Amino acid sequence: MSTGTTSPIDSATSTIGNGIDYVRTKLEVFEGDRLGQIGLATLFVFLVIGIFARPTTIEFLNLTIPGIAPHDPGERAVGGRLESPSAAHPLGTTDMGRDVLSQVIAGTRVTLLVGSLAAFMAVFIGTNVGLVSAYFGGWVDDVLMRITDIVYGVPFLPFAIVLVAILGNSLVNIIVAIVLILWRSTARVIRSQVLSHKQRPYVESAQAIGAGHLRIMYRHILPNVLPLTFLYAAFAVGWAVIAEASLSFLGFGDPNMLSWGEMIYNVYTANAIREAWWWVFPPGICIMLFVMSVFFIGRTLEEVVNPELRHQE
Amino acid sequence: MTLLDITNLKTYYRAEDGWVRATDDVSLSIERGETVGLVGESGSGKTTLAKSIIRLLPDNAEIVDGSVAFDGTEITELTDSELRKQLRWSEISMIPQNAMNGFDPVYTVGQQIVQVIRYHEDGTSKAEARERARSLFDELGIEPDRVDDYPHQFSGGMAQRAMIALALALSPSLVLADEPTTALDVVIQDRILETIKKMQKELNSAMIMITHDMSVVSETCDRIAVVYGGRIIEIADAETIITNPRHPYTLGLRNAFPDINDDDQELISIPGTPPELVDPGEGCRFAPRCPFAEEACWEVTPEPESYGDGHEVECHRADEVELLQTEAGKKETWLEQEIGRPDDPTADRATAEVESDD
Amino acid sequence: MGLREYVVRRFLQLIVTFWAFFTLLFVLFRMMPGDPTSMFILDGMTPEQREQRIAELGLDQPLYVQYVEYIRQLLTGDFGQSFIYREPVTDIILIRFMNTIVLMGTALVFAYLIGVTFGALMGWWRNSRFERGGIIVTLMARSSPEFWVGIVLLSVFVFWLGWFPSSGMRTTGGELGGGFVARYGSLDFLRHLFLPALTGAIVYLATPTLLMRSTMLDVLNADFIEIKKAEGLPERTVLYKHAARNSILPLVTVAAIATGAAMGGSVVIETVFNWPGMGREMVRAVNNNDYPVAMAAFFLMGSVVILMNFVADLAYVYLDPRVEYE
Repeated sequence: MSTGTTSPIDSATSTIGNGIDYVRTKLEVFEGDRLGQIGLATLFVFLVIGIFARPTTIEFLNLTIPGIAPHDPGERAVGGRLESPSAAHPLGTTDMGRDVLSQVIAGTRVTLLVGSLAAFMAVFIGTNVGLVSAYFGGWVDDVLMRITDIVYGVPFLPFAIVLVAILGNSLVNIIVAIVLILWRSTARVIRSQVLSHKQRPYVESAQAIGAGHLRIMYRHILPNVLPLTFLYAAFAVGWAVIAEASLSFLGFGDPNMLSWGEMIYNVYTANAIREAWWWVFPPGICIMLFVMSVFFIGRTLEEVVNPELRHQE
Repeated sequence: MTLLDITNLKTYYRAEDGWVRATDDVSLSIERGETVGLVGESGSGKTTLAKSIIRLLPDNAEIVDGSVAFDGTEITELTDSELRKQLRWSEISMIPQNAMNGFDPVYTVGQQIVQVIRYHEDGTSKAEARERARSLFDELGIEPDRVDDYPHQFSGGMAQRAMIALALALSPSLVLADEPTTALDVVIQDRILETIKKMQKELNSAMIMITHDMSVVSETCDRIAVVYGGRIIEIADAETIITNPRHPYTLGLRNAFPDINDDDQELISIPGTPPELVDPGEGCRFAPRCPFAEEACWEVTPEPESYGDGHEVECHRADEVELLQTEAGKKETWLEQEIGRPDDPTADRATAEVESDD
Repeated sequence: MGLREYVVRRFLQLIVTFWAFFTLLFVLFRMMPGDPTSMFILDGMTPEQREQRIAELGLDQPLYVQYVEYIRQLLTGDFGQSFIYREPVTDIILIRFMNTIVLMGTALVFAYLIGVTFGALMGWWRNSRFERGGIIVTLMARSSPEFWVGIVLLSVFVFWLGWFPSSGMRTTGGELGGGFVARYGSLDFLRHLFLPALTGAIVYLATPTLLMRSTMLDVLNADFIEIKKAEGLPERTVLYKHAARNSILPLVTVAAIATGAAMGGSVVIETVFNWPGMGREMVRAVNNNDYPVAMAAFFLMGSVVILMNFVADLAYVYLDPRVEYE
């Protein structure tokens, strides 16, 4: 191989490195943005709670980190049936005598898992579709954008319900259902952004020196649209969490992974919605707070991507 | 008879580091039917001065002192609704730089002309207002049927004519024209300027023509006020400003624009940029860019000095008119190295001075 | 390209989209794991009955024949028989579809009316306390899933204050019969409608509000706004007739997406408030393996969204004289 070419791994690392540097410099926008700071802080709290929710054993160190949750969320009769909050059970108990606080804490994990995985995959697909569609144009663009249009015609919840009913209600299938719909908005936005970058001189000069399509797309154009991808990822986390919660609330959640939405579903099936406010409100408030935190962060990122907003506000 | 009388007007903008003195102690009066040009670089404060007249200022701007008397009415003391009903458009209208953006894109031009006529004239019917729009179009050289077109359907020159129609729809006594031809190509520019002059004569409207283009004002204006750093630094009749100016800045501006009668003329630009207007302090504001600046120019703000026939100049060396005029015509005079405060270690060059302000 | 050509082309696109959507449905509902016929067959049938039923349903035909037959049935509005109700699906679903449209239509209309006004004022009074507070409230609403807003409203207005009924569409029943006026034309109905419609309105309010605000900020910087102010027109006229009228354009496109969200959201809202609509019916159908009903419901929801996209595109052309038909 001739001198001066970098290996794909090198270039990938440097791209990621550039991305991280970029994010680091841009994190400055959180300075002086109260909502963004609140968002970051809230998300951090959820992150800690989610990671340390249950006791974690590190085998080879023979070490067990105690969990934050006081009880096993699935264990029955740790208290009486439908007890209102007390010192022993700060958020009361369920109809089976399970500890609500422990369930809320454990539910954080599911939320983090669904939010991050679904958002990452949706944005990954969306960015690639948008990039390929805009870069190649012509029939490729036509086909990909028609598909995007069609996905825009599919209402999410009914689709997810049917899909989960067919494939079985596991967390993986729920994430698949979310991803299959969620990529569409990223695809459209990235496409229009790439279209404008395609016209710029740096792409032409890359073509002039004989760079391949893949190289131009991923090495030259992608870094420029990456900020927008981050922005859409933040919003995608929020939408994915809402989607999972709604699906679980309807009874299509993963029975082995207790999530906040599923807790509220359980309240409904136990017919306890009228009395057991302590069982309903904590998971609901958690969903709202979590989604708000990522939306606040997204809003702050929006100002990085679209600096004009900063002057207007 | 005096139509507009501005005295000691100060319009400031609030900024993070203090007040931006965009219009600082300006006096100017305009007669009925007269055309006055406001000439200066962008950022000199000429637009703020004009917009202060109808108080069309952004939220962070404020008329902090001075008076604007229009036909005997003190504008700074009117309530918002009095201002809207009595003065805006019916007495004072404006022509913006880019007519295409001056029209609301979702209504036809005719609808917009009719709307403003009917708002200000209670008795006028829709049909009458429309008829007036059509005849204005006719006079301005646009096919009358085009009142039903949307703004985007007009070419740049046509849109500018349509904008003039809008501006004259209520026969105002004063028209504020903000760079009305800058966006157009030269041939169309001339025709538009002619049209404006013709209509203005017919209606006997006064006009303030804001521009950075010396050749535009020399063709159209009776008097010219040269604006720099928020102040009128020289004012006189058009003839005097073109042929016999006394302020180095005016001389410099004149150099920067081609003279149609002189093919061999060399275009010379003034080095540096307009000053920041946050707390400018004492001294002539042009001194950092002035090839003729002396010690006094840096220390003492010059007062307006009268040279007869309404010719007023704010310059300490305005008396040395022959020297200034001869030297200003030479290219060497305006070289960057030659300018600046020689014995001031903190800012001994014009560029240094300008950059340190940023 | 002229307007007429644009409409024709957009219409052809609509047909292609519908065809793709039909196909997606077909694939989805034939994608069941295991024997694809098992779910159409009820327990306790004799082998002969089974055979007959499979033949009846056309499931013994090759897949492409089934596909063509399926498209034919969709186009004639024939969705077959419900496994549970033992009635034609069309009869079951249409009336519930109406109930859903009334509920979600009300919610969307209010979401847009309030959202557009609210967003316009937020843009007009930029940097005010009103704007900052408005953004937080809007983001809060946007961060809440429909069921959560519904539960909060239920807890406050029903369980605590007791002002509204908790579920259903009418106290007297008869939710699925009678004429239009008989069903929707009573105060009792409005009392039942209020909370679920409010739930939808709150959730769908955020998008038009935030979008309206940000386009307002753009439009307010436009030259023509300054000219309209210079014309002496009252603030109200400049705000509504010019600034807001221009800002509304992007909202038209988003309206189609909002309809999609509302169609999906109906599933949740109707479950929370036990509203006898298509969304709740769909959840029930899926849980009971009543696939013809589930498919019909899905079909109608998707069709509404696709049609709304079409209408929105045409409306945009009508509202913005600058559009060039590319």
